[in-house]
Parts: sequence; C-alpha cells; structure tokens
Amino acid sequence: MKSSDNRRAQFDAECRTAGLTLGARDAELLYAMWLEWQPERDRLRAAAPVPEDEPWR
Amino acid sequence: MAVSVPDLDLHAVSDGIGRREISSVQATEAYLGRIAEHDSVLRSYITVTADMALAQAKEADAEIARGRRRGPLHGVPIALKDLIAVAGVKMTSGSRVLADHVPRRDAFITWRLKDAGAVLLGKLAMHEFAFGRPVTDGAFPTGRNPWDVRRAPAGSSSGSAVAAAAGLCAGALGSDTGGSIRGPAAMTGLVGHKPTYGLVSRSGVLPLSWSLDHVGPMTRGVWDSAVLLQAIAGADPDDTSTRGATTQDYVGRLEDGARGLRLGLLKRYYVDVPGLNDEVRGAALTAFDVLRKEGATIDDVDAPSLDLAMAVWAPIMSEAYEYHADTLRATPEKFGEGLRTRIYLTALFTAQDVQRAQRLRARIGREVDALLSHVDALIFPGQATPALRFEEFPSTGFAPASIRYTAPWNLLGLPAVVVPSGFTREGLPVSIQIVGRRFDDATVLRIARAYERVTDWHRRRPDPTRWRL
Repeated sequence: MKSSDNRRAQFDAECRTAGLTLGARDAELLYAMWLEWQPERDRLRAAAPVPEDEPWR
Repeated sequence: MAVSVPDLDLHAVSDGIGRREISSVQATEAYLGRIAEHDSVLRSYITVTADMALAQAKEADAEIARGRRRGPLHGVPIALKDLIAVAGVKMTSGSRVLADHVPRRDAFITWRLKDAGAVLLGKLAMHEFAFGRPVTDGAFPTGRNPWDVRRAPAGSSSGSAVAAAAGLCAGALGSDTGGSIRGPAAMTGLVGHKPTYGLVSRSGVLPLSWSLDHVGPMTRGVWDSAVLLQAIAGADPDDTSTRGATTQDYVGRLEDGARGLRLGLLKRYYVDVPGLNDEVRGAALTAFDVLRKEGATIDDVDAPSLDLAMAVWAPIMSEAYEYHADTLRATPEKFGEGLRTRIYLTALFTAQDVQRAQRLRARIGREVDALLSHVDALIFPGQATPALRFEEFPSTGFAPASIRYTAPWNLLGLPAVVVPSGFTREGLPVSIQIVGRRFDDATVLRIARAYERVTDWHRRRPDPTRWRL
C-alpha cells in the first residue's frame, strides 16, 4: 500500500511529465479524480495483452 | 386536425403534413409556441432559429402544394445538438470558448437534412463540449428533465432529449462518445440510436474523441429514428471513416417482428451487478419476456473482457486532450471546472496506457464479434438507474458509473439503440438497450420496434403543468 505522500508525489510527477500547469483548486480536483480512477488504471496495466490483441488487424 | 402537434411523434407529424391535414408552417409555429411557453424552465435550446425555420416551412408547404413531397422529413420541424454546424447559425458546443462561433458551412448531415426538406428549429443545449457536467445556471444550462424538472436528463445530448421528449421539436440529433445519445434518451423515455461507427458522417460536427464519436437520432418512436437515420446515413468524402458505410433500408424491415431472432442477454456484466436499480432490472427482464413472447429466443451470453471496458475507454478519451490542449493552455478559465479536470485526467495516461487500451479494445471486439456470430443482437438494461436529481450528480469524478452500460459500444462502434421499457413508481422512464452487428442497424431498429409495437410506454407524455420551478 502506497502512503498518501507517495501517491501525491507520483501524481505531481505525472502532471509535470504531462506538462500540466494547474491552479491549486484544479490540482486538488484532479488529484481526487486521479485517485478515484487508479483501480481502473491498475486494471489496465495488469491486463497482459496476447499477440492476437492487435488493433487494426 | 384537432390534435396538439407537440404531443405527436415524428411519424404522426410527417403523416399529417403528407396528407396536408397540417401544414409545415402550422407545425413549426406549434413548436415555436411551445418553446416560447416552456423553454425558460426546460432550457433545451441554446439558439432558436425561428425566422429560418418559418422560411423553410413556407418553402416546404409550397413545394408540397405543387405535388412534390421529397420524403417523410419534408416539412417536419427538428432540432440539432449545438455541436452540429448549420451555416450562419451560432454553434457554441455549450462552452464559453465558442460563445461567438458561427460556422460558415453546414455539416454534411445538416445538408442531408435540408436536402430531405426538414425544418431546423434551432440548436440544442448540451454538456460543455459533450464532456462537462449538468448545470442549471450560467451561460449554458444543460436542460431539465420534463418528467421531473428537479432531475437532469443526463448528458451530454441533454437538450436534444428534453426538446424531443417535451414536444419542443418532432425529433432531434445528438452525439454519443460514451453514451450521450442513449443515456439522455433512456432518462426521458425516448428512442436513442447510436449508429454503427462510420455510418453517419461527422464532418462539421465538433469532435470530442474521434474514434468514439457517433451522431444519431433521439425521438419518441422507432420509426422516427429510422427515418432520421435514413436521411443522414451514408458516405461523405470529407469523413474517411464513412468510406465503407453500408446503408440499409431502415424503415422497410421495421415491422418484420422478433420471430426467429436470436438474442443474447449480457446477464453477468449488466444484470447481475449491484449498481443496477431494482426497478430498471425488473422492467428490463419483463421487456425481455415480451420479446420472447414475440418469438425471439434469448440465451445468456458473456464476453469476459467487458470487465476491462472502462479501463480501456478512459485512455482513448485522451483524444479529447489532444483536441483541446492548446485552448486549455491559452484560456483555461473559459472551460467549466468539471470539464477542465476531466480533460486533464486524460493527459495523465502514458503512451503505453493508450496503446495497451487499443490492444485490449481489439480483444473486447473479438469476443463480442464471436458472440454476434451466434446471435443476431445483444440485449441488456438501457441504463443503471432512472434520472438523478441535479444534486445527486457528484461534483468530481471522471465518468458516472452508469457509463458501463453505454461506453463499451462506443469502443466497438456497434449499433446500439435504447427503447422505453417502463416507468418507475415515481414516474420516471426506464429503457432496454439492443446492440447489433456492424452496419446492421436495421436489425436493432427492427427489434426495438418489435418491442415497441406491443407496448405503449412510448405513447406516454410528460405533463407540461409540472414544468414549474
């Protein structure tokens, strides 16, 4: 389980990587949304594609 | 003709004009009167094009009087979501960003509707850029549900749903990227049809997410949607996604019934889930029994990868970030807070996330195609819940939980229609959904009609005396 400090640091790093410059309120709202969406993102990253999983085939 | 035009469905308005029992001008004036009387509460229109509509209606009446009726839409007053371009008419997409934007050219589908002789009453309210939240105030309120004005009609084609359900037009077009036709149609007791991806041109339609966007009809009846689809479907050189568009006769097979059709009920993913409202579930299961009695066979089916659909949909929505990024950087204050943060979230997916989503999208498609090689269509409840009160919508969150009922079918581009299947004890409409094979929109409409013609949910109208705040 990641600590909330680690999660916040990860979120801030992702925002920097994406080039987002956010006001304080936007940052808080986006952080809440980002946290809420983590289970889906984890599900995506945990799903192992197989060779047949090829778009445009 | 001693009837109230706004109480009719598009079919009856069309027949009345065709038989010259009502004129197009009379019909247009009836809708304009209804808009003037009620839209200060319902807030379904952003722009009412009264002068243009009356001019088109006069032209239609003159042409019909000369014995030339172009088709079933000739003289019929309809309205368009405010992201579909009409030359010379303001198109805001429900956003301050485009508050003064006036397109110079018609969208391809606008041109098609004009060519069919339809009368354009105006441009309809919507959630900001088709991805914002429901709002009751500000420059662009998103509309109130005519079945209970304290409730939202859902979105993003909120104004299209409100106007069509409340009789402020004979039918409307909306757009659907994750459920924006089918959700509002389900919440307001309408038929809402998301056509096959690539069947209806999007040129001149403001994008949200290119590979997920669809444009389609929202109407009181199935015939109405079939006629609108017939007018707008087909290849457009300016939208390469329509290059392979295969059109069908959407009206001709509507009365073929359900006998002999094989339907697959996606029970595990859509029915046996805790988020499904009991009354929606009960009405849907009863509706499926009706289809059985009409001669369809129904078997439970499953596509296990649907569990990944929402995880896959979100990174692909980063197409919206690419579209809006420059404007967001330059004038973030012009975007609503809810929309702004939703778009920002899509920027946080990595390149690998997006490409993995595309691979898993292909997997879901493979599984669903396999199902559709054994059944003619998939069926399930139209939405998770009936319409929510405005205050019940969370002020944060990327997408409502109910989007699982609709967004997977945007990922796959398959035709999907919702059709009214009852009312809750509180008098709110509920629906079932039917999904078919690619470019077989005629079959989903046929199944919807097979249900509609032996039920009377589509005949109910919301009570205008309750449209007060």
